[in-house]
Amino acid sequence: MSDHHHKETFITKYIFSTDHKMIAKQFLITGMFMAVIGMLMSAIFRVQLANPGEASVLYNLLPGGWLNEDGGLNPDKYLALVTMHGTILVFWVLTAGLSGTFANFLIPLQIGARDMASGFINMLSYWFFFLATVVLLSSLFVESGPASGGWTIYPPLSALPQAIPGSGTGMTLWLYSITLFVVGSLLGGLNYIVTILNLRTKGMSMQRLPLTVWALLITAILGVLSFPVLLSCGLLLLFDRSFGTSFYLSDIIINGEVLHNVGGSPILFEHLFWFLGHPEVYIILLPALGIVSEVIAVNSRKPIFGYKAMVGALLLIAFLSFIVWGHHMFMTGMNPFLGSVFTFTTLLIAIPSAVKVFNYLATLWRANIRFTPAMLFAIGTVSAFITGGLTGLILGDSALDINVHDTYFVVGHFHIVMGLSAIYGMFAGVYHWFPKMYGKMMNKSLGYLHFWGTFICAYGVFFPMHFLGLAGLPRRYYTNSSFPMFDGLADINEIITFFALAGAIVQALFLFNFFYSIFKGTKASANPWKANTLEWTTPVERIHGNWPGDLPVVTRWAYDYSKPGMDEDYVMQNVPLKDGEEEH
Amino acid sequence: MKKSVKDKALKQLLWVGMFSISMFFAGLTSAFIVRKAEGNWTEFILPSWFIYSSIIIVISSLILFFVKRQLRKNASIFNLVFLVFLLGLSFAYFQVQGWNELTTQGVYLTGEGSNVAGSFLYVLTLSHLVHLAGGLIAMLFVSVKSKLNLYSIDNCLGVEIVSIYWHFLALLWLYIFVFLKFV
Amino acid sequence: MTNLLIALVVILTIAALVQLVRVNELLSEITNTDTNEVTDEDNNKNGIFFLLTIPLFLGFVVWQMVTWDHLLLPPASSVHGAEIDSLMKVSMTLILIVFFALTPMLFFFAYKYRGKKEKKAYFFSHNNKLEVVWTVVPTIILTALIIYGLRTWDRAMNPDLAKSTVIEVYSKQFDWTARYSGADNILGESSYLLVEGKNVLGVDMLDENSGDDVVVREVHLPVNKPVLLKFRSRDVIHSAFLPHFRVQMNCVPGLSTQFGFTPTKTTTQMKESEGEDFEYVLLCNKICGAAHFNMQMKFIVESEEDYNKWINSQKKLKNTLTLK
Repeated sequence: MSDHHHKETFITKYIFSTDHKMIAKQFLITGMFMAVIGMLMSAIFRVQLANPGEASVLYNLLPGGWLNEDGGLNPDKYLALVTMHGTILVFWVLTAGLSGTFANFLIPLQIGARDMASGFINMLSYWFFFLATVVLLSSLFVESGPASGGWTIYPPLSALPQAIPGSGTGMTLWLYSITLFVVGSLLGGLNYIVTILNLRTKGMSMQRLPLTVWALLITAILGVLSFPVLLSCGLLLLFDRSFGTSFYLSDIIINGEVLHNVGGSPILFEHLFWFLGHPEVYIILLPALGIVSEVIAVNSRKPIFGYKAMVGALLLIAFLSFIVWGHHMFMTGMNPFLGSVFTFTTLLIAIPSAVKVFNYLATLWRANIRFTPAMLFAIGTVSAFITGGLTGLILGDSALDINVHDTYFVVGHFHIVMGLSAIYGMFAGVYHWFPKMYGKMMNKSLGYLHFWGTFICAYGVFFPMHFLGLAGLPRRYYTNSSFPMFDGLADINEIITFFALAGAIVQALFLFNFFYSIFKGTKASANPWKANTLEWTTPVERIHGNWPGDLPVVTRWAYDYSKPGMDEDYVMQNVPLKDGEEEH
Repeated sequence: MKKSVKDKALKQLLWVGMFSISMFFAGLTSAFIVRKAEGNWTEFILPSWFIYSSIIIVISSLILFFVKRQLRKNASIFNLVFLVFLLGLSFAYFQVQGWNELTTQGVYLTGEGSNVAGSFLYVLTLSHLVHLAGGLIAMLFVSVKSKLNLYSIDNCLGVEIVSIYWHFLALLWLYIFVFLKFV
Repeated sequence: MTNLLIALVVILTIAALVQLVRVNELLSEITNTDTNEVTDEDNNKNGIFFLLTIPLFLGFVVWQMVTWDHLLLPPASSVHGAEIDSLMKVSMTLILIVFFALTPMLFFFAYKYRGKKEKKAYFFSHNNKLEVVWTVVPTIILTALIIYGLRTWDRAMNPDLAKSTVIEVYSKQFDWTARYSGADNILGESSYLLVEGKNVLGVDMLDENSGDDVVVREVHLPVNKPVLLKFRSRDVIHSAFLPHFRVQMNCVPGLSTQFGFTPTKTTTQMKESEGEDFEYVLLCNKICGAAHFNMQMKFIVESEEDYNKWINSQKKLKNTLTLK
């Protein structure tokens, strides 16, 4: 029976909820809202790159209106857009929007728990995130503009307002915002770990956990270990900015002014930053892969191939992710031997990643694939992971990095692994669990259109970028027209912008489908995909405490699809073993 | 969920949280080590105030071990926890005195004549103090509740949790102190 | 006014979509089917789309490779650069092979195993031998790649410095300045505290090595002679990127970094193969502020004779900077 029999008001049900399912939706909606803003920013700077100097009607859409002031887009504002785009998409959409949504929604449901270990701390984790969002967006309304030193905010650029206007108030707000964000993330992560370890229902051993939960557990551990280092990194930057210390600053003359700082090293910042920065990308990727494992198994009507190997691969990726951070710093003048070590560890991480891809392929082999929109996106994730992962082998090789570091080759790589692979995983998750979240079905045809449109446009945007990089084009350039050697690349830039704008418009189909279906979608059944995991044993209406009666008791793993000797092509985890049936 | 499961879970939440906090300090101390190796690093003597504060915080931690005994005897724990709170306040006072002594020694956080070694020291000790502030608030809260006799041996999760956190703060300080002394 | 129009477009689009979906739903009510159930027909359609993706997507990739090949950087103009190019060729070939093998496999499986109502999937949950094979084989290949890569890296990072001409490259918002070390091949000491007026680089004129230094805004290099570039920055992190030479190194305020290399092709040679407009150029490759996109300095590689003529005609610091 549910613990709480309190009467729910509008406030306690929708605003200050401690129910993990509502908190998950709060994360999702906030993440989607920020994704729209982040994508709008990228549309603006892509238009600038294709048609340098021409103003765009899109400027009107950005909150803060600061693009229209003082003659429109200029290099400072361009760099601000690029910075905020990166910050919003990496942290707000792909971390909070992805983990926040699915960890909150799925963990209690898939392990058979009433709610998280602490609903209160969970609620706090969302509200810290909300506050962080407000603070970040407020930097768009600041006169000197939001932070502009790249989402990687290297000092001295990010420490000195004299170096770029956005490093003034905008950067201060960025730091406060990220601090709130990290605290919120940590509060969430604590809950995820403790809940998975303690609140699994009877029979749910670790070996019977769905891969999604494994992925979310490992992601939370990664977060707990790495996010605090971002805080220490940011704290030292805050001191340099506001109290005149010299952790990162030394020997600087800026705008004619000789600064007093002596003894600091910007490279120290880079080490601390990337110690989080690299695990961060796996914090983004692992939940997506966890979702994809589930979606592929359910829609292939086959077990995910190599469950143990998949768990092992997740663990190995997580472990290795802590010792590769230097591959972001090959060109900082580090001791070449150190560079060699990081090359070695970075190329090693390709191995568990490859193992995962092979296991996905083996799952599809001799399957009976049902192409729900979620399944389409899951397949898209695997394709993007192959494409993007392979270019990582080039970038991870220090000698090759010499000529592609900070060029569009990198931009192509990380967008394909994050902007395609991880986002597709997020879409797959939304389409797949929408019936459980809202009790309604999303429109299938719109989903198909959304996938194929996005798939085509996204590869159209990011594949050509590898060629731009191999042509030597650096990233974060306001325009590519200052160097004659890049004049021949103008056509490629236009093609990219075309696909970017088309792709952005296609997302409208998703947004429409999502909101329309919440209110007017066809009513879903309790288990529309005929899946095995425990969330599908809950009633469609969704209640506090998840199950109206006793908690389900688990008797088998999550992947008895098309098991020989069974009546149906799926057997839910709480179905007792038949006489003579052996557990897998 | 069952109370025992909830209690266990809440304690684990604290443990994971403390692990996170440790990673924050690990970041600061690694930065310290990396920076020190680059040279241009002023050595200085740690003020003796830090030795006194170390002793104080260890004592306050030890006192907490008696709380359970008191609860089993059904006696009030107010005196104990409030004493710990006061010791915590004294710790903070000693830290500030330590900083004052450092400035007379010429070791500053920032500004003319400062060295990054000093900056690190201040940032490390200040960060610890900020986390201690959280502990002080919690300890005050526990003191009030114990004055109102709201704890019993079967119902003392709040005290247990705050005690664990307090021990953590003491150990963390000892780590920082030893680190600053020997590294 | 523009905002009003945008709002109108958005509202009308939403209205149109709503009507389309409503029509779709009504139709399904009439025909008594569930619009959102995935049918064999849906599976066929999407399966075929995935099959088509193979030639279309891979074709797109090949098209890009063919059409844009001439836009890529020309072969490297340095000794270590040539080695990097070889490593790149091998690595690219490897990843392209894997890409062209796995991608069609993925989409072909999606097509071949598209769902049919009467079909049943094959319950095949794991195979340890397979796991070992596809772990060990990539490990062996990657180990070989790593060893090759590390040897190239080691040679690029540890050039023979004994005979290198030392040149300082100084970065600031938003331009580059170079300082040749002169006949003694030693750069005079410098400090940011000495930057004043004409002494843009803060050279310490009291240092005996400074007098023969030469400060220029265009770098000339003698072909086939090793050179050691030493980098400094005045304000924020910049990055010296010389793509044609496969040279890149961050310029960090408070630190000095360096990169040594040997240019192998003169500018004239490059103009013959790449076109009259060709120039070697130094770009900034680390976000550094507003004009990050336009921080450039020309590099010219010429015969030793031409180089000597040029360097000897430049003014030395002892003649341009006076002691205070």
